[in-house]
Amino acid sequence: MNIAVLIKQVPVSNDVSVDPETHALVRASSEGMINPADLNAIEEAMQLKEQTDGKVVVFTMGPPDAEKALRDAMALGCDESCLITDRAVAGGDTVATAKVLAKAIQLYGEFDLILGGALSADGATGQVAAMVAEELNLPHVVEIQSVKYKEDQAGKVEVVKKMHDTSFRIACATPAVLSVNFGCNEPRLATLRSKRAAKSKPLVTYTNAELGFAAEEVGIKGSPTVTVDSFQPETKKSAKMLTGTPAELAKQLYDLIEEEKGK
Amino acid sequence: MANGICVYAESYNGELETVAAELVSAAKGLAETTKEKVQAIVLSDHAEELVKELDKLGVDEIYAVKADHDITLQDDAVSAAIAEMLKKIEPSAVLVPATPQGRSIFSRVAMRLGCGMTADCTEVLAAQREDGSFYIKQNKPSYGENVFVTILTKEGIYPQMMTVRPGVYAACEAKESGNANVKFFDDIKIEKSGVEILEELPAENTTDSILGAEVVVVGGRGVLEDDNFELLEKFAEKVGGAIGGTRPMVDSEMIPFNHQIGQTGLTIRPKICISFGVSGAIQHTEGIKDTNLYVAVNTDENAAIFGVADYGIQADLKEILENYLTL
Ligand SMILES: Cc1cc2nc3c(=O)[nH]c(=O)nc-3n(C[C@H](O)[C@H](O)[C@H](O)COP(=O)(O)OP(=O)(O)OC[C@H]3O[C@@H](n4cnc5c(N)ncnc54)[C@H](O)[C@@H]3O)c2cc1C
Ligand SMILES: Cc1cc2nc3c(=O)[nH]c(=O)nc-3n(C[C@H](O)[C@H](O)[C@H](O)COP(=O)(O)OP(=O)(O)OC[C@H]3O[C@@H](n4cnc5c(N)ncnc54)[C@H](O)[C@@H]3O)c2cc1C
Repeated sequence: MNIAVLIKQVPVSNDVSVDPETHALVRASSEGMINPADLNAIEEAMQLKEQTDGKVVVFTMGPPDAEKALRDAMALGCDESCLITDRAVAGGDTVATAKVLAKAIQLYGEFDLILGGALSADGATGQVAAMVAEELNLPHVVEIQSVKYKEDQAGKVEVVKKMHDTSFRIACATPAVLSVNFGCNEPRLATLRSKRAAKSKPLVTYTNAELGFAAEEVGIKGSPTVTVDSFQPETKKSAKMLTGTPAELAKQLYDLIEEEKGK
Repeated sequence: MANGICVYAESYNGELETVAAELVSAAKGLAETTKEKVQAIVLSDHAEELVKELDKLGVDEIYAVKADHDITLQDDAVSAAIAEMLKKIEPSAVLVPATPQGRSIFSRVAMRLGCGMTADCTEVLAAQREDGSFYIKQNKPSYGENVFVTILTKEGIYPQMMTVRPGVYAACEAKESGNANVKFFDDIKIEKSGVEILEELPAENTTDSILGAEVVVVGGRGVLEDDNFELLEKFAEKVGGAIGGTRPMVDSEMIPFNHQIGQTGLTIRPKICISFGVSGAIQHTEGIKDTNLYVAVNTDENAAIFGVADYGIQADLKEILENYLTL
């Protein structure tokens, strides 16, 4: 089973601000890490690979230094990687992003499964995976807990998804796109040895020269939506501060709660 | 010409979801300014019953597709049918619940129609261009610092598509009956899906407890130290409250994901909310609405939470909890 995993490099901390001119994120530090849910996607991919053979290829679209995220992923056992980097594709919304990811996957080769995280820690729309599926005309299941391959069910995988306080066991025809919930498994760790091995694993770089989009199809220009403003919420009120010793404060809290309950 | 504010009437097992009535409220608010019709679309194997329920919400037009089987999770096929419906209806805007189902289906629709989709709006506002045409300001919390961003669908692109967070608009009240124009699109078929449900296993129903709770006790990163969480549990038991938390609490696996409160978690409306060791990030406080009593305990007098709560206690949460438990 050949598996593509989409990973996004996200800022290590929430320590970002918004540029008042462009409304884009300004990161206090350029340090990035693999989006947490994507580590769970990598783990699912590795387990499938161990069971079925085949290879796992990680893809990321981002600035050139996103190569680090790809090396980290290969240190976790992924076999090959693909960096999509070009000013032309930067700054896109989810539609523009998904278009580029889908094209890169197609250009790279054939896959039985495409896995991603359910939600990124920064943009956090949770839209990209289903959009990639639409662009590639494949079925999808998002926000899943696990994916299994069953020997006797060729052309399908079995997926578990929780929704409406119910756990669904689902058959999904392959090739398919699946997005994996944060925390659904215990991602493996890299070792010194696997980190060293990752340095010599293949990393292909695609720019728009390879992808061949017209300038108005991708990036900010190719995005149907645009961020036009950022603003501070009105501070509605300020809390009445209670004073006293901890014991007195606890008693005041008690009285407030009991009074409200009695209403 | 694109015309109409259209709501996706989400349903599950033949029942309309409450969020549908919330989105109808939001749509009516927009239509008051833009003077457009309020529309709803529904696709289900129980379409007829759902149309009757929707009519009671006082929408102007209802468009429906009848499925001949249960279409839960068949989002490849469902999204294709919705795209066909929207091409016929030509609304200027589509409001979608920011739920797992809404996100999954409409991400595909937005891609197929090329219209894009703004995620997780907490406010949608009608605004007017110089030429008199209307557009919708799609507001949502941003990443990191405490600001909101306004996202627009570029001029000329229709429909303007957005997901709206459940819980931010009050549901409009259902009347005895309505007089909407109803149209069933019999020519639109829901094609075969690559997705098939094999089995439904009941999972533990833990979310309801917090959504319905009158008292919610919220723990933040400050609770992660020492045995503070145990104290919090005892406190919650004493006040008869459910426990919710911030993202760090979920990330550190203190509480399950479906107890996270905020932008990427639940929106709650408890009567009483007491938070311990929560800084008050907008992504979190957006998830708490309409409380009668909101008290925050935090050691930092400048914590943003003191700009949101009714009462503030600047103190070590451990000491407050320990003292409370002796009362
Ligand atoms: C504050 C803020 C708000 C935004 N709001 C919107 C909005 O409402 N609508 C909109 O269309 N866009 C929005 N964007 C832009 C959007 O975040 C970007 O398009 C982003 O590149 C992808 O979306 P996401 O991070 O939300 O992905 P999600 O859909 O949350 O990510 C899910 C998964 O998709 C994969 N993935 C996502 N991005 C990449 C990538 N670059 N390379 C490889 N895999 C990837 C990963 O597997 C990831 O785990 C917003 C951006 C910001 C900063
Ligand atoms: C796209 C996106 C979506 C997000 N969605 C959510 C969401 O849905 N829900 C959510 O909660 N967060 C969400 N976040 C994260 C959010 O921005 C904050 O990082 C988070 O809410 C902070 O949690 P916290 O208040 O527990 O921790 P912190 O911000 O670290 O605050 C801890 C507070 O505890 C106080 N404290 C520490 N020790 C004590 C003590 N002993 N006694 C009293 N006070 C003490 C400190 O003074 C501090 O104010 C999201 C972020 C992003 C970018």
